[in-house]
Amino acid sequence: MIVEPVEVQDFLLAVIAGALIVLAGAVYALLFAISRIQGRPGLMPFAYAAYATLVGAVVFLARAAHFSGFWTFIAVLMLLGYLLAPHGVWRLCVGTHPEEVP
Amino acid sequence: MSAAPWWASENAWKKIAIWVTGLSLVVLIFLTFDSMQQITAGGKRVPDYSVINQRIDYRFDDVRKYQVPVIGPEAPLFGKKVSAEEAEALVAHGKKTFQGRNCINCHTILGNGAYYAPDLTKAWLDPAWGAEAARESLMIEFLKNPDQNARTFGTGRKMAHLRVTDEEAKALVAYLKWVSSIDTNGFPYNFKTIQQGG
Amino acid sequence: MAAAAIGVLDTSHLNGGQKLAVKYYTVAIVLFVAQVLFGILAGLQFLYPDFLYGVLDFNVNRMVHINAMVVWMLMGFIGSVYWLLEDEAGTPVVGLKLGEIIFYVLTGAVAVVVLVYLFVQVGPGNDMTRWFINEGREYIEAPRWADIGIVVAVLTFFFNVVATVMKGRATGITGVLIADLLALFGLYLAGMFYTTNVSIDQYWWWWVIHLWVEATWEVLVGVIMAWALMTVLGTRRVVVQTWLYIEVALMFGSGILGLGHHYFWIGTPDYWFWIGGFFSALEPIPLVAMVVHAVYDSGAHKMRNSNHPTLGWVIAHAFGNFFGAGVWGFMHTLPQVNLYTHGTQWTTSHGHLAFFGAYATINIAMFYVAAQKLRGNVWMGAGIAGAWRWKWALFLLNAGMLTMTVALLASGYEQSFIERAIEGATWSGYFAGQSHPWFVQGMQWRMWGGWVMLLGLALLLWDLFTIGAGETRKAYSPSEDEAARTAA
Repeated sequence: MIVEPVEVQDFLLAVIAGALIVLAGAVYALLFAISRIQGRPGLMPFAYAAYATLVGAVVFLARAAHFSGFWTFIAVLMLLGYLLAPHGVWRLCVGTHPEEVP
Repeated sequence: MSAAPWWASENAWKKIAIWVTGLSLVVLIFLTFDSMQQITAGGKRVPDYSVINQRIDYRFDDVRKYQVPVIGPEAPLFGKKVSAEEAEALVAHGKKTFQGRNCINCHTILGNGAYYAPDLTKAWLDPAWGAEAARESLMIEFLKNPDQNARTFGTGRKMAHLRVTDEEAKALVAYLKWVSSIDTNGFPYNFKTIQQGG
Repeated sequence: MAAAAIGVLDTSHLNGGQKLAVKYYTVAIVLFVAQVLFGILAGLQFLYPDFLYGVLDFNVNRMVHINAMVVWMLMGFIGSVYWLLEDEAGTPVVGLKLGEIIFYVLTGAVAVVVLVYLFVQVGPGNDMTRWFINEGREYIEAPRWADIGIVVAVLTFFFNVVATVMKGRATGITGVLIADLLALFGLYLAGMFYTTNVSIDQYWWWWVIHLWVEATWEVLVGVIMAWALMTVLGTRRVVVQTWLYIEVALMFGSGILGLGHHYFWIGTPDYWFWIGGFFSALEPIPLVAMVVHAVYDSGAHKMRNSNHPTLGWVIAHAFGNFFGAGVWGFMHTLPQVNLYTHGTQWTTSHGHLAFFGAYATINIAMFYVAAQKLRGNVWMGAGIAGAWRWKWALFLLNAGMLTMTVALLASGYEQSFIERAIEGATWSGYFAGQSHPWFVQGMQWRMWGGWVMLLGLALLLWDLFTIGAGETRKAYSPSEDEAARTAA
């Protein structure tokens, strides 16, 4: 079988985990960017704390939604994508604004 | 002012944008051909319209782990077996009535539509019709006079009186019976069906 | 020709395309009002089912509500394209007279369609109904004659754009615009046929709906935003265009096959679980990554800008798009969850916030660009008279929408849980969900959100017609400011 729906008792927590993934991903990206642009390395641990929350939410969602096979691959890809995308976009920002590096 | 590195240049991203869009489209078109083949009426996922001559059930499948439509023995709609052409004409009339009466802006079907009234994907199999023997006539009466036969379950919400004719009501029932035979990957989940076949 | 003074409402401040744009914006605003009013009628019917029963039934109100939305957004987009076309191509719009005529034809056709919706409402189950009354397919209910009229109208519009660009200057922005418009209009054809097979029907229907809303509309907004960033914030063209291409790659890369998340339950093969799941999981990542870009840009520009209300609405767009499409979208998109939430108020909650956040906000931002220019490029920065109006309109419209969204989410959760998960989606299960106190309270709170939006909308209209009146200062210019600072 390709998908196994979440159990009724996990339903609420599964959707909260889904929302938390995107929210924590955004908080991580936000703190990451502020830390870089304002030169405040002290913020970076908080950025990665937000990412750690994201990891927790992905793991919870993966268990609640019975991820296996291809779905596990998607979960891993999500973890990598959310981790690396802010780094990539930061480099693109610097690359596309060559004259105004802050 | 220095130039942007190649991987951040306008030209590179123009090419990437074109390639990404093109590749996605090619994959989509390929999958569309395959899907069309699989959902043409008469296939395994979407049965031929003449399925209205048979009993349709929705039962749990041990391998797929959700309910799937099961085509049973002969059970002609309104007690009269119809040819493949007649079945298609009847279901088409039902579909056109469904569109002409704007059913989609209260109901959902296959889960798409509006949310003011119940989903109709398995309406044919709904236990609310009571007994199998009374189902067809109850459905027709309901469609023709929804305000007098309202089943509001305490919400006070009644279906609009849409002046559905006898012919149109029969066609709608045929359409809904056929829709209930479509393999929807287990949607709706955990559905309880009307008792059929004694 | 003497130009009118700054602060005076006068179309002589505008170029030809912009004059036409103002007409499109006016009709868009009228339809925006209609959308909100009919939404309120439909919302009331959830609470008082006998309200207008047999006169304007729920299906009629709901149809006008969603059709007014689609058309006002499209008219806003078309207006915005006319608005920027002459500036961008560096030459007057080619075939503008034809464009004017088509505007009146289109507006007349929309009026006839709405009158038929309201007074004829439904028809018998035959082909005549589909051609002349109502097609009966969600969002694209317009009868076939109107479909053909729309195709003719947009072809004329498309001709205006292509001919102007060919005569004038071709830029990255106009290149993306033309390709995107071609896709947008081509997709409309995918919805213009009848089939009895409901699975095939919905398969192609999603091509129109999804590939509009989650692909071509997004890119069109990207084009408008790119132009607005250059004019309002003064960002350099090469930067704006590079990011436009990046956005196209991300939007089309995730959006085109993201179509798969609509193919879970309509009869289509189960490999769409994987495709839909894969792209749905990745879709929010670009949105999240853009947070980095926004922070970077605000750090680089310090947000010096020529139009405060426009910037306010662009910021509302960024948040609305992130929450509506990103958070609300991903929450219920995986099939393991969507099996319960598909076709419930959950979808309504997501749809309201996403449409408003992604599209209504951008159109309103452009209305303010037009209001500024209509008064001779008047000052719209700090210290403008009556600034409370645009600020309160912005607040009330967003707060109202947020209230509705959260209320609908509560109802949607309750509906998914009781109707779907426990009762198994039968009729009695459906009504058990609908009569549950949580559901009803959600519907009541949604109404409050609707009233707040109506108030905000009234304020917005008042503001659009009065902002900048009596103001004599010329607008702040980011590019002149840049030049002055470089010289100093």
